[in-house]
Amino acid sequence: MLRIIFGKSRDIIYNTSMYFSNVFQKEWLDDPYVRKMIKGVDGSEVLGDYLIKSKALGLIAPAQLSGGVKTLILTYFLPEKIFNASTCGDNCARWFLDMSKKQDRTINLRHIMDFGDRKMDIQILNNGAVVHSMSELVDVAADYL
Amino acid sequence: MKGSYRIVVQNNIVQFKLQVNRNITIIRGDSATGKSTLVDMVRQYSLNGQDSGVNISCEKECTVLVGVRWQSEIASIKNSIVFLDEGLEFISEPAFAAAVQASDNYFVIATRETLFHLPYSVKEVYGLRNVTRKKKYQVFNRIYSEFYPLYDEKMVRIKPDVVVVEDSNSGYQFFSALCEKEGIRCVSAKGNSNIYKVIRECGDETIMVVADGAVFGPEMERVLAFRKAKKVVYFLPESFEWLILRSGLIDGAKVQEILEHPYDFIESEKYFSWERFFTALLIQETKGTYLQYSKSRLNENYLNPKEKRSIGEAIRQLVENGQTS
Repeated sequence: MLRIIFGKSRDIIYNTSMYFSNVFQKEWLDDPYVRKMIKGVDGSEVLGDYLIKSKALGLIAPAQLSGGVKTLILTYFLPEKIFNASTCGDNCARWFLDMSKKQDRTINLRHIMDFGDRKMDIQILNNGAVVHSMSELVDVAADYL
Repeated sequence: MKGSYRIVVQNNIVQFKLQVNRNITIIRGDSATGKSTLVDMVRQYSLNGQDSGVNISCEKECTVLVGVRWQSEIASIKNSIVFLDEGLEFISEPAFAAAVQASDNYFVIATRETLFHLPYSVKEVYGLRNVTRKKKYQVFNRIYSEFYPLYDEKMVRIKPDVVVVEDSNSGYQFFSALCEKEGIRCVSAKGNSNIYKVIRECGDETIMVVADGAVFGPEMERVLAFRKAKKVVYFLPESFEWLILRSGLIDGAKVQEILEHPYDFIESEKYFSWERFFTALLIQETKGTYLQYSKSRLNENYLNPKEKRSIGEAIRQLVENGQTS
């Protein structure tokens, strides 16, 4: 299940882009799920350990991936850590829900991410409530921003 | 600083075009639209000028704020447009808001985080979009990207069941009188940060939110999110005072000129938001007249049939033109 802490919180990795640059492992890009996320969010294709073909920027290094996809990759590989997911746009929302089906993940949000009209199971850790739709999520999240 | 500035930031790969109209501009939206690339290009140009390979075209100097010593950095930057990328935790702190208020710079902040301490306008929250058109004989494929307003909502003609006014003073007193005539319930939220709570308490009614668009940016996302469950429409003029100034009740070519291009008159160091400027302007323009304005209590002359009709007409024109502000 996806778990969310809304608002400011301790023990959060806030600057996910910097963190990514310093903990990145080249094996991460071999993972088919990561490649799908990079394709889905950035529209880019992984060519090798340190090489990505971006539609917009040409050939780029992993550090030049979007802030959103970097946070997704960190959340995927380091589920024991909590990252600032307000570095992610709404186009990352489905990936957070998807990767949390197999293993619980916790993220920190300092804005209201739009998870769309899909049915969802998200636990809001601020009060423990489990919500199943965006309208339920908004109802709870608004008080903690 | 005052004025409106066109900024073009480009290298051989990408070009960004943006227009900055007031002291605080927010960039958000989807991932992978180029926000960090834009700020990084400004950083490279700021460090190395033309030698960076980046070109920036702007009347004002463009620079970035990056580090832990941001307070001393801000103090040393004058009369510039300052870009900030996400990942800087201090931007949500009151100390940063105070520094912005005291500064004569404009700030362009890439963040999705809601910055409740900064009074930014709903009109100055932008996303970035790719506007590249393929040309037949294009030598290299540069990506063209530009700002688009995220909250560009058109006002719809609708009779709401309840009107929620942010204000509890003059603005509320006026809208309350207007609603009474139409048989509409009018509620004061007693502050921007309470609007979502009032919306939440409303039942299955059509709700119209009336707030000062000039400072409603931080609340917009939260209030907009409630549309998942409620029927909510918005009327967000710059401010109530701006509405009065637009109504034609206040004579003067100077006022009309200011309303046409406010950015040329509003000194950011003096006025943290346009809302404050229009309040000061209205107070100044009506001083000693029968329409002498006070924010805390509405001068009853604004509720005379003629005056009420004039302000009502200003509202109607905005609605007819499909504008929220």
